[in-house]
Amino acid sequence: MKTWLSVCALTLGIVSLAQANPAAHPAARTPTQAELRNALAAMPNGDALRGKRLGQQLMCASCHGETGVAISRNWSSLAGQTAAYTYKSLQDYQQRGRFENQRARLMQVAVTGMSQQDMADVAVYYASLKPAPSSAPRLSSAAHARAEQLARHGDPARLITACASCHGAAGQGNKLTPALAGQTVEAFMRTMHDYRAGHRITDANQGMRQFAQRMTLAEINDLAIYYARMGKP
Amino acid sequence: MLNRRDFIKAGAALACAAALPARAADTAAHVVIIGGGVGGATAAKYLKLANPKLRVTVIEANRVYVRGYGSSEVVTGHATMADLNVSYDALHQRYGIHFIFDTVVGFDPDKRQVRTAGRQTIAYDKLIVSPGISLQYSAIPGYSAALAETRAPSGWIPGTQTALLAQQLKAMRQGGTFVLIAPPKPYRCPPGPYERAALVTEWMRKHNPTGKLVILDPKDDFVTDASMQLGWHRLYGYNIPADFMKGMPADVKNSGKPAPIEWVRARDGGTVSKIDPKSLTVTFAGGSIKADVLNVIPPMKAGKLAFDMGLVDASGWCPIERRTFASSLHPDVFVIGDASIADVMPKSGYSANNQAKITAFAVANLLAGRAPDEPKWKNVCYALAGSDYGLFVADVFRLKDNKIVQISGHRYMSLDATPTQIRLGAAYQQAWLKTFTEDCFA
Amino acid sequence: MKTLLVSSALAMLATLFTPAHASEHNGAAMAATCAGCHGTHGKLRNQEFVPLAGMPEAEFIRAMRDYKSGKRQSTLMGNLAQGFSDRDVQAMARYFARVK
Repeated sequence: MKTWLSVCALTLGIVSLAQANPAAHPAARTPTQAELRNALAAMPNGDALRGKRLGQQLMCASCHGETGVAISRNWSSLAGQTAAYTYKSLQDYQQRGRFENQRARLMQVAVTGMSQQDMADVAVYYASLKPAPSSAPRLSSAAHARAEQLARHGDPARLITACASCHGAAGQGNKLTPALAGQTVEAFMRTMHDYRAGHRITDANQGMRQFAQRMTLAEINDLAIYYARMGKP
Repeated sequence: MLNRRDFIKAGAALACAAALPARAADTAAHVVIIGGGVGGATAAKYLKLANPKLRVTVIEANRVYVRGYGSSEVVTGHATMADLNVSYDALHQRYGIHFIFDTVVGFDPDKRQVRTAGRQTIAYDKLIVSPGISLQYSAIPGYSAALAETRAPSGWIPGTQTALLAQQLKAMRQGGTFVLIAPPKPYRCPPGPYERAALVTEWMRKHNPTGKLVILDPKDDFVTDASMQLGWHRLYGYNIPADFMKGMPADVKNSGKPAPIEWVRARDGGTVSKIDPKSLTVTFAGGSIKADVLNVIPPMKAGKLAFDMGLVDASGWCPIERRTFASSLHPDVFVIGDASIADVMPKSGYSANNQAKITAFAVANLLAGRAPDEPKWKNVCYALAGSDYGLFVADVFRLKDNKIVQISGHRYMSLDATPTQIRLGAAYQQAWLKTFTEDCFA
Repeated sequence: MKTLLVSSALAMLATLFTPAHASEHNGAAMAATCAGCHGTHGKLRNQEFVPLAGMPEAEFIRAMRDYKSGKRQSTLMGNLAQGFSDRDVQAMARYFARVK
């Protein structure tokens, strides 16, 4: 433990450069179930064609890719993401309720001035695209079996609910619960680590925070690859 | 105060005293760096990265570095003086770089030794000097270092004058005039005076809405020129001169009404001839103006140490062999950063950081008996036209006929940039302050 | 213990700039010019800029090519990409891909 601490101290370098804990960002907060329901109910009908144009004007494509397949490891793939989830994420960034890491600042900048309609259009556009399964190296069959077990059945002994029970058997997501199939390994891992560390707090019932904390790093890694490759023949 | 000859002699006279040997038979070469600013700190770190066995010593007068980049944000209260402080602890602890907090008072290039005010004599195999700039306060009649510390701060080297300027802006009468005198080329931080003008104008719009800012300039253009003026136009209603209208977006139309920011360039009589220290009246080719707050960014030359060490030529800057930044005047000495004559490379922190790295690699190679590599340098300066309006100049450079030439095409934010690109530019500027400081000092 | 950690960490970092790498069309030195934004050795902890350490070669090359051609929108990467030849980009890509 002591060794670990000293490594941390070294890595952080001088104090004035140390990052503030992003979770301590004043505006970041966990939404209530009612707020989520209301936000979803208020979502306008999106226009995918307009969303595509906006995606170019607003530079979404520069990181998330023209077809929603991320071309930067810093950002998630959006192709095939549920419209509700993308819409809500954009809203969270605009209202500053989501600030899991420094990158969130760029999203805050990118969504400045977007209307509810703009957000719905962009969200519907990305939802209309086909996810591209990752070419990440295949898991060993044992690791694959373990990941599949967690994904489909969870681990009752550790109170980990099956991922599929909310995210769908094919990782397709369901409204405000995001799709996982075809998500990049990096984005999946980053999200889980942010939940695990308590930097991301947008999970209404704190479920994701708890599941992430109960999983081992190896399990998270394997699940990332499992979902990234999902749908790949 | 020693003159240059005495200074160099002072090094020689002490040489016979107990000088540390540059290199015992079994120890690695000793590289001494004078100046712990961006150039010196980066050189020290990257020397250790290039070869951890090298012994690296930095001689620096101050225990804490006060960063100049981003320091105009103190003037408008976006940052505090404390935000500008950078510690040397990481360089010492992580990389084993030795620091001597002292001033150099003697230099013997033949014996390869420098001497400090604290009477240490330090021998080197290679010496890297990163002396920065000196401000020529007396170049403008009526202006002086004393005036800069009291009534008309410069704040171009961050410190008490920066804080003073911030106070004066806050205390300025409603409807007052903030006069900023821009420097002639070459000078440190090319977009800096114009960014400062923008931030002060933005501040006044909120806190002193009838206040006005006038830039008096001995030049006809400046780095980020049209892109910065477009920002001023959009944010503050600045009227863009006709010859800068080329390539502007179709919706850009000057109102012709007086704007809170005005740029009087050389061809319009912007060159200042004198300052009256009592009334703060500035006389320039085109007329005279009484300032409520007067910010003078005086002409610049290489830092004083470079003069003392005999590293400057008649231009007031340090001639170098461009590939390695080796001094043309003394062997085994390298001059990096603002003080060096680096042709089209701007005198900026990013340039100094890049020069430091290329020179560190070259020095490590030379000490190992290898030829230095073919260099490429980069410069990136972010600048703000407003808190959420980011601009930049970005260049890549290489060597051509022993001169540094620019090889990338466009340098500035394009005039048809989208609002998203402009806002991202401002977000990246803030991020850069952190990443850049870490690359240099941690 | 702490000293040991410092020196081994430093030695690890330093191997990235050893001559064997530098001779490869100067990839290490050119890559170092990116560090003002992308971090020393392309390593960043939690920043807006994209960390380049460990980036697969093909991804780096594609990004620089698309910035250069303007296909990928940027703030200033388009300008900077103009300054590097295919060979330069290849050398930097190889360097960054090796950083763990």
